[in-house]
Amino acid sequence: MGRAKDALAKQLMTAEEVACYLLETCGSLAEFESFMFGSSLSAVGSDYDILIVGPSGVSLTRLKSELRAAANELPLDVLYMLPTEAAETEFVIREGCINLWQLAASTKR
Amino acid sequence: MSWQVNYALENVRKVPRVTSAEHVHGDAIKITVHNQPDVLAVISNAYTITAELATQYHQEFPDMDFLCGYRKECVWEGGAIRYLEDNTIGWGSAGTLSSAISTGNAKTAAHKEYVFSYRLIRQLRCIMNIVREFDRVLTVNLSSGCTLRIGMILDYEPTADAVRTLWDRFGPVDIVWNINPNGNPTQNAIEAGRQLGCKVVKWDELKTLLQSS
Repeated sequence: MGRAKDALAKQLMTAEEVACYLLETCGSLAEFESFMFGSSLSAVGSDYDILIVGPSGVSLTRLKSELRAAANELPLDVLYMLPTEAAETEFVIREGCINLWQLAASTKR
Repeated sequence: MSWQVNYALENVRKVPRVTSAEHVHGDAIKITVHNQPDVLAVISNAYTITAELATQYHQEFPDMDFLCGYRKECVWEGGAIRYLEDNTIGWGSAGTLSSAISTGNAKTAAHKEYVFSYRLIRQLRCIMNIVREFDRVLTVNLSSGCTLRIGMILDYEPTADAVRTLWDRFGPVDIVWNINPNGNPTQNAIEAGRQLGCKVVKWDELKTLLQSS
């Protein structure tokens, strides 16, 4: 299991593959809205920009821990926003963020 | 080949005028740039670069021109920064490495996200001394006798989580400085700072605070 995970992360992953990988390995993502944005959506960049929108608290602490483990061999840059901050900044629309579930689904077509 | 070396090679090869980028051994890569000396860069996957780690890399790669902390969350301790700068070794993020290769200053480059702000604050006349504890945390002694601890956040729009994370990771600060000239801290970020006991400010407000403290 560990070896398979290592092999997966060592490849240069597409945005869609990263979305699948995160959704499979980070169960707490189900409790948050999660997106990818930035240049990694169009090509393999230096990292993958991820936006997490949701409340602070225990669930967020758990999610951070899961994401940190998932990013052990993957360059993630994760931005955490409260729902009010996402609304205030209009970040999702302004940055053209794509929902991780939508991204993951596009690999399975 | 480690994952971070793999990603670094892929991205360095896209930098204009780079003619080749090859894995040497361990975490080191050699970058050949048109009309410039080759660059030996070491690509670290560390979450924190300490002086000890920087020294170890230097011992393993005596010709190292640049040390890259590949993770976005990589933190550089002040001792590591001093060691690298004293030995004329560039340091910083993957973006810093790409820029340094383009401009031919790999040996003297410093983390591009913080270099401008650090230079800016050092120019203030009211500051008598600055101790760089980490790449993003400074303790400044002012001519008034006051001492302030400042944490820098480079996000376009720092969030409450960014402010709390900085506080949790580096300990209490008096001021959180949003060093990105574009955008502003969210209202929740300012409120999080207020609850913790620090101000969350942009450059103009910081300058006024330092000059009046």
